[in-house]
Amino acid sequence: MENKETYWSENLRLIFICLAIWFAVSFGLGLLLVEPLNAIRLGGYKLGFWFAQQGSIYSFLALIFWYGAKMNKLDKKYHSEG
Amino acid sequence: MNRHLKVAFMVAPFLAVLGYIGADYYNESKANKTKVIQLVPEGHCDVINKSCVLKSGDFKVNVSDTEGVTEVNSTFPLDSATLFLVDKADNMTSYPLGMQKSPYYWRSNTALRGFVSNKGESYKLRLIAKIKGGQYISEFYTQTTK
Repeated sequence: MENKETYWSENLRLIFICLAIWFAVSFGLGLLLVEPLNAIRLGGYKLGFWFAQQGSIYSFLALIFWYGAKMNKLDKKYHSEG
Repeated sequence: MNRHLKVAFMVAPFLAVLGYIGADYYNESKANKTKVIQLVPEGHCDVINKSCVLKSGDFKVNVSDTEGVTEVNSTFPLDSATLFLVDKADNMTSYPLGMQKSPYYWRSNTALRGFVSNKGESYKLRLIAKIKGGQYISEFYTQTTK
């Protein structure tokens, strides 16, 4: 029972970290900080614009795989069925 | 692909849509806030000889005068445009401009030509151009060069 609760709390912690990164990348870099980031160029594109259009999607994909890998480790740690 | 990845891939599109809606709300509320932006003359301003461009970023306003009719032509559509002639005692005479054909062209009969028709004469003008969610203002001098 205790194991299940710890597993769930670690899972929740991971979800909140993912959501925080999701918010920071999409709203933070793509909207709130778009003007200062636009002063930097990446491959000819303004960085703020690039984050809003492409960077955030790449980050979301990376986040999904990172979450999957972390959850796999968590499953092994708590001997949960994968 | 394990079950966690499957769940993450199923949740991601909903988060993306949620993000899109949130971003739209944010941008809309930002656009609705009234902004005051200053226009500055691009080089020398000579309204009488049709050589007066006021600029702020991509937005440009061309101010010219033809036989006493002062015209304002902008790169973006305007909601309204008012021109003020300012004398040396800082007294203003306002000329609300009327729309011509499209919201890019505004004009009105003004007394400007009477003040600066001769070479070397200069006069202070103010312009307020209103657009959706903001207004462009400018105070500038026109000087007749020819």
